[in-house]
Amino acid sequence: MYQPEPTAYLQVSTGYAMPHTLPEYTFDETPLRLSDGRGGSSIGAGGSSSSNAAATSALLYGTPLFSNTNSAGIGPAPPTSGSSTAPAPAHSHTFHHQQQQQHHQHPPQQHRTRNVARTVPSSVAASSSRIHQHPHQQHHRASLPILLKMEPNSEDIAAQEAAAREYQQHFEVHNLETRRHIHQSSACALDAFHFHSGPLIGKKTPSTAIVEEYAKADPIYVQKTMVLPQTYSDYRPVQGDGSCGWRAIGFGYFEALIKTRSKARIDAERQRLESLTPVLENVGGFPSYLLQDFVDETFSLLQKLADLANHPDQAMSALEEVFNTPDVSSCILYHLRMLASSYLKGNQDQYAAFVTTNTGVEGYCKEVLEHHNVELDHLGLTLLVNVLLRDAGFVLEVAYLDRSPGSEVNTYRFPEEANGRHPSELGPIIHLLFRPDHYDILYIPEPVDLQVHRVASFSHRYEIENSPMAAMHNFGGPVNMETLAMIPGFGTPTPGSLAAAPPILDTTPSPLSAYSPSPVSPWATAPPPYADPLQQQQHQHQQHHQQPPTAPMPIPMPMPASSAAAVAANTMSLAVSAPPQTHPLRFSEYCQLPEYVENNTWREQTLQTTTFKNSHFNVAHYNNPNFQPEEYKPESDDHHDAPPRASTRKRGSV
Amino acid sequence: MSFVEDSQNTAPGGVPVNKRSGAQKDAEVGQKAVKRLQTELMQLMTSPAPGVSAFPSADGNLLTWRATIEGPEGTPYSGLTLKLSFEFPKNYPYAPPTVLFRTPIYHPNFDFSGRICLDILKDKWTAAYNIQTVLLSLQSLLGEPNNKSPLNGEAAKLWDQDPTLFKTKVMERHKDLEDD
Repeated sequence: MYQPEPTAYLQVSTGYAMPHTLPEYTFDETPLRLSDGRGGSSIGAGGSSSSNAAATSALLYGTPLFSNTNSAGIGPAPPTSGSSTAPAPAHSHTFHHQQQQQHHQHPPQQHRTRNVARTVPSSVAASSSRIHQHPHQQHHRASLPILLKMEPNSEDIAAQEAAAREYQQHFEVHNLETRRHIHQSSACALDAFHFHSGPLIGKKTPSTAIVEEYAKADPIYVQKTMVLPQTYSDYRPVQGDGSCGWRAIGFGYFEALIKTRSKARIDAERQRLESLTPVLENVGGFPSYLLQDFVDETFSLLQKLADLANHPDQAMSALEEVFNTPDVSSCILYHLRMLASSYLKGNQDQYAAFVTTNTGVEGYCKEVLEHHNVELDHLGLTLLVNVLLRDAGFVLEVAYLDRSPGSEVNTYRFPEEANGRHPSELGPIIHLLFRPDHYDILYIPEPVDLQVHRVASFSHRYEIENSPMAAMHNFGGPVNMETLAMIPGFGTPTPGSLAAAPPILDTTPSPLSAYSPSPVSPWATAPPPYADPLQQQQHQHQQHHQQPPTAPMPIPMPMPASSAAAVAANTMSLAVSAPPQTHPLRFSEYCQLPEYVENNTWREQTLQTTTFKNSHFNVAHYNNPNFQPEEYKPESDDHHDAPPRASTRKRGSV
Repeated sequence: MSFVEDSQNTAPGGVPVNKRSGAQKDAEVGQKAVKRLQTELMQLMTSPAPGVSAFPSADGNLLTWRATIEGPEGTPYSGLTLKLSFEFPKNYPYAPPTVLFRTPIYHPNFDFSGRICLDILKDKWTAAYNIQTVLLSLQSLLGEPNNKSPLNGEAAKLWDQDPTLFKTKVMERHKDLEDD
C-alpha cells in the first residue's frame, strides 16, 4: 500500500487559494489525480467509489468519443510518452490497459501529466468542452480519491483543491473525515491523513512497498528504505488513528504467541494477564465493573488463539479479524492502556521522572495512557513492554526510520537488556517500524523452510514424480506457457527453466543432465500448500525412523517465565533444543558424494541461527556438488553460460 | 448533533442504517456502547451514589439518558434538583457523552443553554470515566466552580464578590422541570 512521504505537501495545500471554477483546467488535471494508483489503493473507501464512477460514467457517456475520453481519463494514467499528445481514439483502450500495468513502475508521473495537459490538442480539448455540456461527468471523476502524493506545485494543488471541494458531497464519509483532518492542519492531521485509511490492521505486504513509497523522498529516507527489504521481508500497515503504537505491539504480541504454536504457552499468558486484573483495580484504580468489559475481550481472544494453537493460519485470520473489528480491538487496546497505566502507578519511583506532561503521574495516565487514541510515546512503550512483553519472554525491536544520519534504520530493543545480544539468545522478537508518530509492523524472513524443502523433495521424490505437477515436465504440447515469456526475465519456459529457480533452491542434488526432468525444484518453488503436507509426512517419517526424533518446533515453554533470568534460561534452552541435524534423509542415488553427507552434518548446524536459515546469504546450496551460480550478464544474455543450463536458456531470452 | 442521529439509527429497534458498507460495523460499535451502558446502569442501580441518579430515557433508546443531581448542602444550589440529559456517541466509552443541564442553572461553568465546560467531558475524557463519575464531578463543580475559565463571566465574578446576589440569581434562574 502506498503511503505518501510525510511533510510539506499537504501543509502547503491548505495555504493555497482555491479558485472556485476551473472547468478547463480541472479537466486537464483530472487525469493527474487518476494517474496515480496510489490514491486508490491507499484509500479503501475511495477505491470502490472510483470503480463505481467508472461504471457510471461509462454508462452515461457511451458515445464513441466519450467512451474514448473516458477510458483515458478514468484509466490509471494518461499517455506516458512525455511529449505525446492525448490518446488517439483508436488507441485509447490500449493505452488504458498499458497504463494499468505501468502505473506502478513510474512514480514521477506528475511531470508527464502536466506536459500532457499543456500539450493536449484536439481530443481532450474537445472533450473538455463537452464537459460543459455534461456537468455530471465531472462529478463522477471527482469522486475518485484524492491524490496523496503531489508535486509542491501550486497549480496542481489549486486544481485539486478546487476539484475536491466542488465534489465534496460525493465523497464517502470516510474521505470527508479525512479531509476535515487535513484542514485542521497540524502534524497530527498529516499523520492521520497518511495512515488513517484502510483497515485497522492491514495485510502482510512485501516491504518493497515502503521503498517505492519513499522513492521520491529525502535522500536519507531513500537510502534507508532501500536497504530495508534486505533485513525485513514484509511489513504490515497499521492504521494511524492515534492508537497505532498500541495496536502494533498488541498485534505483535498475539502474533508471537500464535507462532509459538503452544497451547500451554498461550494459556499461561492468559493466566498471567488474568492475574494482573486485580492490579488494574487496586493499583490502576479502574472500577472493576467497568474494566471487565475490556479485559474480557482480551481473554476471549487468547482463549480463541489457544484453541487454534495447532492451526496458526486460522489463528492468524482470527486475530486479524478481531483486530479489525473496531469495538473489540478498542477494548483490547484499552486493556493494554490500563495495563501500562497501572504499571506506571505501581512503579512511580522508577518512572515518575520520565512523565512527559506537567500534571504528574496521575495526569499523564489520564491524558496520555488512558486517553483513547492518544499515541504511544516512549515512556508508554517502555511501560507496555515491561508489563506485557517482558514477562512473556518477547522482545520488541523498533526500527527508527527518520532523518537522522546513517545509511540504514537505527534499531533499538526493548527491554533495554536485550540490546547487543544475538537474536538466538533472545525470545521471539516483535519488529516494528517507527516513522515519526507512526508504527507499523515489520517481519524478518521466516526462519523455517530451507531444510523442509530439501527433506520433502528427497524422500518423496517418487510420489512427486507421479503427481500431475511432475507430469507437466514431460509435456510435449498441450501446456502452453508462452505467456510466461512476456514477463521480463522469464525465458520461454521449458521444464529446465522452471527448474532453474533461484540458487537457494539448487541445494537439491539435481544435475539436470543426470535425471531430467527434475521434479524437485518446481516443487520447492511451489507455495506452502504443497510443501506442508509433505513436511508433515516427513515429520512422521522422522518419528518412525529415528530415535530420538528431532523436534520440529521450538519446545513450548511450560509456564510463563516470571523473571528475566527464567526468560534467558528458556531462550537458551530454545536455542539449544533447535533440531540437531542428523539427517533422516534417504539420499538418492543422485547424491554421489558420500563425504557430502558427512560434511553436511556440521554445515547444517550453522544454518540454525534464526536470521541465517532462510536468508539469501545462506550458502547451503554450495553443498551441492552440481551447484552452478547463475549470473546476470546483460551483454551476454544470449550466451549459454553453463552447460547444464544451456538447454534451459536456449529459447529463453530474446 | 449529527452523531446523535447516527447512533439512533444503530440502536436496537431503530431505523437500520442504509446504503453504507460500514453499516454493519457501525451497528456493532453501537451495540458495544449499549452493552457498556447496561453495565453502568446495573452498577448505578446496585450501588447508587448519594445525591445523583441516572436512568435511560423513556423512549427505550439506551444511548440517551436522563440524570438528576441534588444540589449539595452548603452551596447556593442546596435543596435544588437539577436535571440533565446525556447523549452517548456510538463509540462510547471511547468518546465522552454530551451532557446538558436541562434545568436552567446559573453557574460560572454552565451557560444559559445548559452547556457545560468541564475538561473530562472534552479532551480529558477517558474510557474509564462513566456516568457516575461525570455526575459526581458536576456535583462537586456546583460547590467549587472553576472560575478561571468561566462560561458565564458574570456568575464567576459574583461568586467571588457577592455571594448573596449570586444566590438570588441562582434562585431566579432556577425552574423546576416537569418529569417527562
